[in-house]
Amino acid sequence: MDTFLIDGQSVTFEPGENILQAALEADIQIPHFCYHAALGSLGACRLCAVEINPKDSDKNARVVMACLEPAQKGLEVSLSAAAAQQVRRHVIELLMINHPHDCPICDEGGECHLQEMTVACGPSYRRYRGNKRTFPNQDLGPLIHHEMNRCITCYRCTRFYQDYALGNDLGAMRLRNEVYFGRFQDGPLENPFAGNLVEICPTGVFTDAVFRQHFARTWDLKTAPSICPHCSVGCNTLPGARDGTLRRVRNRAHQELNRWFICDRGRYGHQYSEHNTRPLSPRVSGINTDYRSALAAAARKIQAAAERTGGIGSVREDLEGNVMLRSLLNDLKGIFTAFNDPELEAATLTAVSRMQELDNTPHLAALEQIDAALITGDLTVHAPMIDLALRQAWRNGAKLAMLHSSVAPLTQFASTAATVAPREIHDMLTQLYRQISRQPETNDAVTQTIKTIAATLSQARQPLMAGVVETSTAQDIIALAELAKAFEPAAQLIYVLPGPNAYGAALLSAAGDTVSLLKAVERGEVQTLIVAGSDPFSEPRSGARWRVARQKINTLIVLDCIATATAEAADILIPVAAWPERSGTFVNYEGRAQGFSTVFHRPEYLPSTADIISEISRLLENQLCDAASMLQDSFPGFQAPTPGTPGVQISAQHLPIRNNELMQTEPYSSDNGWQAALTSWLGDEPLAGFSPALTELAPPDTALINPESAARASLKSGSSVRLWNSVYSVETCVQINPSVANETIAIPRSMLVRLGIGHGDSLNLEQLV
Amino acid sequence: MEAILTRHLDQDNPQNLAAYQATGGYRSLNTAFDLKPEKIIETVEAANLRGRGGAGFSCGMKWRLRGADAPSPRYLVCNLDESEPGTFKDRYLLYGAPHAIIESVIVSAFALQAERAFIFVRGEYAKGGHRLIQAIREAETAGLLGRNLGGSGFDLHIDVHLSGGRYICGEETAQINAIEGKRPNPRPKIPRPSTHGLWGQPTTTNNVETLVNVPHILMNGAEWFRRLGINGGCGTKLFCISGKVKHPGVFELPCGTPARELIYKHAGGLDNDERTLLGFLPGGASTPFLLPQHLDVPMDFDPVAEAGSRLGTGSLIILDDTTCPIETVLNLTRFFARESCGFCTPCRDGLPYLVQILNAIATGNGSADDLALLDELCSTIATQSFCAFAPGAVMPLVSSLKDFHEHYEQHIITQRCPFDASRKEAV
Amino acid sequence: MTDIDTLQKDLANLPPDHPDRREAAVPAMLSLQSETGYLDDAAIEKIAEVTGLSSTEIEELATFYSLIYRCPTGRHIVQICDSVCCSMRGADQLLTAAENYLGAPLGGLASECAPTVLPSICLGLCDKAPAALVDGEAAGPLNRTLLETLLKRLQTEE
Ligand SMILES: Cc1cc2nc3c(=O)[nH]c(=O)nc-3n(C[C@H](O)[C@H](O)[C@H](O)COP(=O)(O)O)c2cc1C
Ligand code: SF4
Ligand code: FES
Repeated sequence: MDTFLIDGQSVTFEPGENILQAALEADIQIPHFCYHAALGSLGACRLCAVEINPKDSDKNARVVMACLEPAQKGLEVSLSAAAAQQVRRHVIELLMINHPHDCPICDEGGECHLQEMTVACGPSYRRYRGNKRTFPNQDLGPLIHHEMNRCITCYRCTRFYQDYALGNDLGAMRLRNEVYFGRFQDGPLENPFAGNLVEICPTGVFTDAVFRQHFARTWDLKTAPSICPHCSVGCNTLPGARDGTLRRVRNRAHQELNRWFICDRGRYGHQYSEHNTRPLSPRVSGINTDYRSALAAAARKIQAAAERTGGIGSVREDLEGNVMLRSLLNDLKGIFTAFNDPELEAATLTAVSRMQELDNTPHLAALEQIDAALITGDLTVHAPMIDLALRQAWRNGAKLAMLHSSVAPLTQFASTAATVAPREIHDMLTQLYRQISRQPETNDAVTQTIKTIAATLSQARQPLMAGVVETSTAQDIIALAELAKAFEPAAQLIYVLPGPNAYGAALLSAAGDTVSLLKAVERGEVQTLIVAGSDPFSEPRSGARWRVARQKINTLIVLDCIATATAEAADILIPVAAWPERSGTFVNYEGRAQGFSTVFHRPEYLPSTADIISEISRLLENQLCDAASMLQDSFPGFQAPTPGTPGVQISAQHLPIRNNELMQTEPYSSDNGWQAALTSWLGDEPLAGFSPALTELAPPDTALINPESAARASLKSGSSVRLWNSVYSVETCVQINPSVANETIAIPRSMLVRLGIGHGDSLNLEQLV
Repeated sequence: MEAILTRHLDQDNPQNLAAYQATGGYRSLNTAFDLKPEKIIETVEAANLRGRGGAGFSCGMKWRLRGADAPSPRYLVCNLDESEPGTFKDRYLLYGAPHAIIESVIVSAFALQAERAFIFVRGEYAKGGHRLIQAIREAETAGLLGRNLGGSGFDLHIDVHLSGGRYICGEETAQINAIEGKRPNPRPKIPRPSTHGLWGQPTTTNNVETLVNVPHILMNGAEWFRRLGINGGCGTKLFCISGKVKHPGVFELPCGTPARELIYKHAGGLDNDERTLLGFLPGGASTPFLLPQHLDVPMDFDPVAEAGSRLGTGSLIILDDTTCPIETVLNLTRFFARESCGFCTPCRDGLPYLVQILNAIATGNGSADDLALLDELCSTIATQSFCAFAPGAVMPLVSSLKDFHEHYEQHIITQRCPFDASRKEAV
Repeated sequence: MTDIDTLQKDLANLPPDHPDRREAAVPAMLSLQSETGYLDDAAIEKIAEVTGLSSTEIEELATFYSLIYRCPTGRHIVQICDSVCCSMRGADQLLTAAENYLGAPLGGLASECAPTVLPSICLGLCDKAPAALVDGEAAGPLNRTLLETLLKRLQTEE
């Protein structure tokens, strides 16, 4: 590789790199503001001044911007040259003309890039004698606080927001020394990645409004590497705690995953751990007690039930908790499942097995390089950072084709998008398969959409198939995998799984156990049910069945860190540590196992799920080995990765799933009425649902219907309707939305739960007058 | 001298298509269509036609360097944003001879094989812009624009873009952003607009006055054009003269005409014969001052540069000995601070700083260190800004620190403006 | 100038990211403003709707340009040049005179029929210094008396 010199030190560079990039990679800190590795060079702040001495040329030494000057072999660069230092000092002096001297009370204190640069380059004293220019601030909603007087006009915010995250409600207004970064009018920022402004801004203009409510000086925060528990992507995070409470979450760079960013759910969802309903004390029959008594009570009940014990693990429970619970039930000869809905189990297991079979599931950085994708469902909500990676692919020219039943923000960037009712997705994928493999059946009326998508995928160098497990059936998942196979070996396949450790949960589950357990409970064959980190009562499709079946259970033991409906109904409730309060392992959608560490301890004693189960096993006089050796048994050779490392691919054998095993689930009821579709939003996730800052932004609960279907049923926006299934009904009002498929009613999760139905189930509608 | 730029000019009653054609208008089209585009470019380069928008770059060379093989679509932008204080020559062309502009855009677009041209008109010239649009409609109806125009096999569409108003929109890359509907910040110098201009396609920008020369060069040849100039200059130039002179106005004169002749002969000398000349800006607001000793410098690019200034837009702003030079520099600097696009730090925050210091000096609140501070700040602003706006902005200031050093000192020492008395008398 | 309705029709069938939409933003603003005098928030939203850009994107442009007015203007607009040549010939005094005459700061409206007087960068009328544009028509050289007569005429004119 070629090299150049910075103050005598040799620096290597790749062709096309500029001086600043090469220097930063070599860990030589050239001062800068507007340059950012994700955003590239702009040349606006003019801080990265260096002097260059072009070799073999009669040109004089001159001061240039390192971020705009291509690195060249043999170039002599000086950071320390007096001329360059003077420019940097002037730039800082100019930026500080209007900057308030509010450092003592500034939220950015301790991690202020401006302060660091000022100390490194700037004059220590002020020469400017005039007044400072001041700005009013805007109300940008509950997540981000705005303090425009601190702005140094580096344009990082709008470049991130508009160019990178593709948002359009934050912009640069006005000109001269009055450039103002804000919205057209006050209001919450709409982009699901807006929270990154907090980190991308080199000073304190955009700060974390949630952190502000319970602020701590940043150098007083306890931090340790963690993994985001809010979806299956597994972004790396750095939570910060103080005095036994969690204050904030920031991104921790992972070059293959989230790079420098995280989504707003990841950043603000953590408020669940401080929610006032959070169980912090064990409870037996509604009475607070201590751990010793609660665990003893639990052990007694389990002992009494003996083989009539069941266990539900969770897709948001770590590998350690799930494997311990499974082992306990193994010993007790009871049924264990990590899922609380048979169809979700089938879909997840199928998805994992297909990804293992195809063995070509890209990480986020690779996703940015794809040139075409077929996406079914809403990635923005179910895996926000996959959406952000695909936005980069789109910027690089990738063509995105989308099939969706309800609102899906990524359609803004789709070259082809079609709304398809949930139950018709399968048919659509099958037709697409036939079109691609050139075997259309004569009775296929091949639509233009199918032709266009087929052409897009066929012309691609590396087409991606991406599906969302939560809104797919096992059959849909197989159909998407078949499509990917048609493009082997080029095609990549991603399924977004229903939780941060859904992959791990799938590896520990056996197909069909969820339905067996549910039926056993319904038949009264389970006396004691242990539920760890799961909320079966709030499951859309089977929640109603679980709630009814609960009557047949003697003792419901719940281990959780949030007050779910199931936890509220528990006979014995055992609070557990929230994620940043314990260590463990999650397996993300790629099968990448990643460790997270204990960031801090709350004042209350809060053990992990694995610890509690271990203790119960001890009380049962059948002490389980520790989680690590249990995992070794399940995954030979597996070593839980150290937190802070990039993680390891889990080397499980392929899941032993055959198609016929998956078909045990009940088919959709098939009358000719409406179909229900899940419509979701960013905060719609069990943990984040306890984050007030996020839930404040929840859209109103309405039934979304597309204009055509609404017209046919004589419905208008605002019409009151009653929706019912066989047993339950809800009243709500209609909102017209063209992103919804024909004959489909898109409703939020809470309504599905109340109706006891899932995505794709039949639904009746009656207009109320 | 032969008037070429002002030949068809009539401010009150500009020629319509018929009148323009009757007096020889649009004849260069046929000459052009008979030639190969490369040949036209060669001729323009041989004529040594230098850009009239401020920088004085060779027009023919710019066209040649864009390359005949530049990918389609290719664009031509005619810059009629004229907002440089002291400059008003393009207004004369716009209001006085819209068809001359259209003719030169057609011929130039043909030379560059550009299929779409924009005429970027400053918003304050909206009335003229509307006249120009009417003239374009006339030309379209007559088949002089559009598909296969004039039977040449060449297609051209001309759009008039009326600016929302800002001095920076005159800068070529900011103008490209403005036309595209983006915020008119300048773009990086690399890649160049000649290869990556409007919508990423090859784009050539020229000042309107530059282009209006082209038909005449084609009709009469390079040699003829070169000989129009004197004292080494080539062609004629629309000189604007304003400030403290008797007859401010636009004068078409040979390139190389000495300043003395422009000021004392054509503009009628100073307002008040009892006054003496203090100095003048030779090329608009963003050029260094020249002093009475420079009166015999030929007003052409190289000689003015040798004298330490720039010909710029060829707009002379005259100061007499009742004009406070500090006040003048303050006004200019305030103008630039106000018009800074706000993109880069030295310009955005440096110019208001300069204004603050100058204002203190001008109002008798200056301090002894201020002059060194001004000089020091200007060194960074002039060399390290993102575009050419800020370097131009500080030129008069930097030169005034030398040329009017005593005036500055006097303000600082006496803590007042010595011109206060005469200013009152002016009202 | 293309009127806003024509623009809306021209843009209606273009794909959302078509460059013509952005290109039309400033022409659309100037066109709407020529009918309404200035652009209020509703007007910005209207332009956003016509072009398919967001209202923030429109505001980014609207607030950059000096000739796009986001505050109410009078029936007539007088732009008085305050740049170098006009300033040398008394522009500053003209601006003060205008403020005094109208009883409102520059840009402000003392009464419904008052004209809007704005300071302006060099208008390219240096040969008529001190100069002004009155509803787009050049006026100059002005002095205090001429200006006051002009303002009076504008104020009383129907
Ligand atoms: C701040 C700034 C303002 C400018 N304004 C104008 C202008 O109003 N009209 C113009 O023709 N050129 C202007 N220019 C010069 C243009 O960028 C460009 O060089 C010119 O239009 C090229 O035409 P020419 O080669 O024919 O001179 C300006 C340059 C700068 C840096
Ligand atoms: S020098 Fe900088 S701030 Fe000034 S106009 Fe150019 S880019 Fe804008
Ligand atoms: S980092 Fe180079 S100019 Fe800002």
